[in-house]
Amino acid sequence: MKMNTVIMGGGLSGLVCGIALAKRGQRVTIVATGQSTLLFNGGSMELLGYLDGKAVVSPIEAIASLSEEHPYRKIGADRIALLADQAKTLLDDAGIQMEGTAAANHWRVTPMGVAKPAWLTLKSHVHIDDLKQLPCKRLALMCIKGFFDEPNGMLADGLKDMGFEVDRLEFTTDDITALRRSPSEMRASSLAKRLGSNSALQRIADQINQLAGEAEMVLLPSVLGDEDHIHALQSMVNKPLRLVATLPPSVSGNRMQTLLRHYFQMLGGNYLMGDTVVSATLDGDRVTSVTTAKLGDMPLKADQFILATGSFISRGLVADYERVYEPILGLDVDADADREKWTRFGILEPQAYSRFGVKTDNDLRCLKEGKTIQNLRAIGSVLSGHDAIKMGDGTGVSLLSALAAAQSILAAQS
Amino acid sequence: MAKSKSVCNFAPKLIESIGFATLKTSFMVTDNIYKNEYDVIIIGGGATGAGTARDCALRGLKVLLVERNDYSTGATGRNHGLMHSGARYAVTDGESASECISENMILRRIARHCVEETDGLFITLPEDDLGYQRTFVDACERAGIRADIIDPEEARRIEPAVNPELIGAVRVPDASIDPFRLTVANLLDARLHGADTLNYHEVEGMIVNQNRIEGVKLLNKLTGEHVEVRGRVVVNACGIWGQRIAEMAGAKISMFPARGALLIFGHRVNNMVINRCRKPANADILVPDDTVCVIGTTSDRIPIETVDDMRVTREEVDVLLKEGVKIAPSLATTRIIRAYAGVRPLVASDDDPSGRSISRGIVCLDHAKRDGLEGFITITGGKMMTYRLMGEIATNAVCAKLGNTAPCVTATQPLPGSEDDTLDQRDMSKRYSFGQRAAIGRHGSLAARIEKENDIDNALVCECEGVTVGEIKYAVHQLHVHNLVNLRRRTRVGMGTCQGKLCSCRAASLMGEFRHDVKGAQADLAAFLDERWKGMRPVAWGDTLREAQLTAAIYEGLCGLDQVVDRTGKEDVQ
Repeated sequence: MKMNTVIMGGGLSGLVCGIALAKRGQRVTIVATGQSTLLFNGGSMELLGYLDGKAVVSPIEAIASLSEEHPYRKIGADRIALLADQAKTLLDDAGIQMEGTAAANHWRVTPMGVAKPAWLTLKSHVHIDDLKQLPCKRLALMCIKGFFDEPNGMLADGLKDMGFEVDRLEFTTDDITALRRSPSEMRASSLAKRLGSNSALQRIADQINQLAGEAEMVLLPSVLGDEDHIHALQSMVNKPLRLVATLPPSVSGNRMQTLLRHYFQMLGGNYLMGDTVVSATLDGDRVTSVTTAKLGDMPLKADQFILATGSFISRGLVADYERVYEPILGLDVDADADREKWTRFGILEPQAYSRFGVKTDNDLRCLKEGKTIQNLRAIGSVLSGHDAIKMGDGTGVSLLSALAAAQSILAAQS
Repeated sequence: MAKSKSVCNFAPKLIESIGFATLKTSFMVTDNIYKNEYDVIIIGGGATGAGTARDCALRGLKVLLVERNDYSTGATGRNHGLMHSGARYAVTDGESASECISENMILRRIARHCVEETDGLFITLPEDDLGYQRTFVDACERAGIRADIIDPEEARRIEPAVNPELIGAVRVPDASIDPFRLTVANLLDARLHGADTLNYHEVEGMIVNQNRIEGVKLLNKLTGEHVEVRGRVVVNACGIWGQRIAEMAGAKISMFPARGALLIFGHRVNNMVINRCRKPANADILVPDDTVCVIGTTSDRIPIETVDDMRVTREEVDVLLKEGVKIAPSLATTRIIRAYAGVRPLVASDDDPSGRSISRGIVCLDHAKRDGLEGFITITGGKMMTYRLMGEIATNAVCAKLGNTAPCVTATQPLPGSEDDTLDQRDMSKRYSFGQRAAIGRHGSLAARIEKENDIDNALVCECEGVTVGEIKYAVHQLHVHNLVNLRRRTRVGMGTCQGKLCSCRAASLMGEFRHDVKGAQADLAAFLDERWKGMRPVAWGDTLREAQLTAAIYEGLCGLDQVVDRTGKEDVQ
């Protein structure tokens, strides 16, 4: 069966693009390895967090100061503002309820207690609109005994620096104690599996209600993925309760991934899980089909193709001994030819490789040997010219380039 | 059970003598040390210094060892981790070869918890001269090293990683040894026998009275304090840095730094040490070490001024890779996790200061005879492998000066951790958890000191290397751990495939709790990640670059560590 669009990569950008297309009646196939960098997500989306090392107040206004190579500049600041609203609606439709606006960043709280600028944050997660006007004074920080993927000391210290009074309260329940007997099981994801019943949640709530004392708000590590579980616990606890991000695997990120996939499939999308595109066939300046590892000699044909394969982490880009390349089509990449220039000496310094990615025109169409491929667009982390680490624009680029590419495809179709 | 009881009997003594000095890393303890007068002050906390301290302490001397950084940060921690059989030197340097085999056999007994008895192969490849094999085996025989010629087919069977093209193979008693563990075991024993040891104390000068050295002037790098400590004899055991120390005393030694770079691969490709059967050259030894394997080395003479710059160059990486795949072809597709370099302390013969005639053997200089400088001894040259013998020679020289006639017992008395010869982590009849098994592998019978009574102590912090909360507590409280890099050297936390991706945060968080210093723990975490990155950067492509991006995504993107720690222009006290 010929598809309207085949998307290579099933992470945040691939799924969002697929949803936008499927919603408008397109037949879409996503080829997904099954791993997504949402597993490192702290429950927020960032549009633009930092510019020249300084926290950005209004991401939309700051876009004008970005270099012309940045995906937002290619898409255009006006369009970004519209797409940002669409993205929030799309996430909401998928069941991912977030708060925030692209006109003004708010602050998310990291597992190390750092306030970082964010565009959207899950309603269930702690976030602060204005650090000068804290939502409350005294917090109960609930620490799960034996769970090391929340650096409680650092988190409490950071919250105190923001101006909160913090009570660090360690607790456990029978369910948690049982899990702890196996030394490698104390991950956020295993806790989420174990704590998913009403009785397990009630045991947690009992502990919290007993310990939280004078605090006005309760913070709990994000070890509950399902919204129903979170709401159930919130109703059992007699104070406002918010979640705070943990070290990976991120339960909330994993949940976002699942909700997006379900929504895409509900819209009729075809999600090939655990497969990967290994090669593509070109006819002149168009891609005609792609071959996957599992389908073998049954290539996937489509009118339009999307490259959403991610950066080095996801193997959308590959660096070897001599060069950086895009492994499926050998597309033109923006990357230094000299290996020594890929990195810098200090690990916390800005690293050149963070900005590497495939080259595109302003319509996000990819280039090969300098020529535009008419029906192949790149979206998300595989794009060059942005820096998810130092600019805090990774999830924003994923969401907004995905929607921009979908718009272009739909416009050409009609 | 009876065995573990005997270990427990030994434990209280350990706490008393080691625990006290470290648990209270307080000023009171260091103040007492500063006020003491010692029989001998040893400068340098590598294997040689630690071995000398142990020997001196066992002979009843009052010992102080000072180290400017952490223990085993110099050449001790920057080699293959190879316990030479001596075969490598058999053809070119018979004396070194004999020393090696003799020490090799001793270390198997006294340091069994630091040694893995892997055996080694010397392989001949089609590009090598098979005739050399005969010369090699004859030389091994002369040096007393067992060397069995085996069929290439047999070599492929016992070591499947070996280049299948090989045309000849010789089996020798090479082994793998953990120099960090070895050094700590020597220091522990020295302290058990009354020695004091100080890391992060740099020698700034000597106390000189006319032509006699009477002690050292120290900078406490943790507090910035300047102090003087007196000793009847001062031993310079500083490896390549010994030239500078000798200059402070007014003596001249001509050292010829020979730099060697090495690469660590992401998993253990080989189970035996594999050498090339030819004259020693670049990158001709592949050693299995714990969960990884190491190829090396290059060999380049470098100016003495550059010995502190340990950055590995692109050229060194290229040579190591090119040669490494000839030994084990699968290295071509194995991830390289880091690159590092060390400096061999070669010494010019006294009768030839030009450096044309360089001794590769052990050099012990009594500066009284040589320079008319009383109370000062330099022990240098040699190899990590021969650290014990170097300690014995240096201690003999110290004892001669002090009129001490006690015999050396270091060749027969096991190191702490190796006393119990039935304890073996590979003994599957005992029900150890992964973490306990790994800890016994690392600490031998001292693993009994690790708290494992409750499930929190048994929780894993580092999954790659099986390090538990209990082991970290033990290291922090009893093994002179001030920061995460120290902790890595004592426990292997963060040394595995992931290079500290998740465990370093867990460990930093725990250290912050133990030390009641959260901000310090964050700065320490950043310094630790930076130190890991230093070794990754020269090989930052493929999966190593992926890991770097992942680390950045977690620590900067998710956690915002870069927002709270500024490392611009930071020079670390490692």
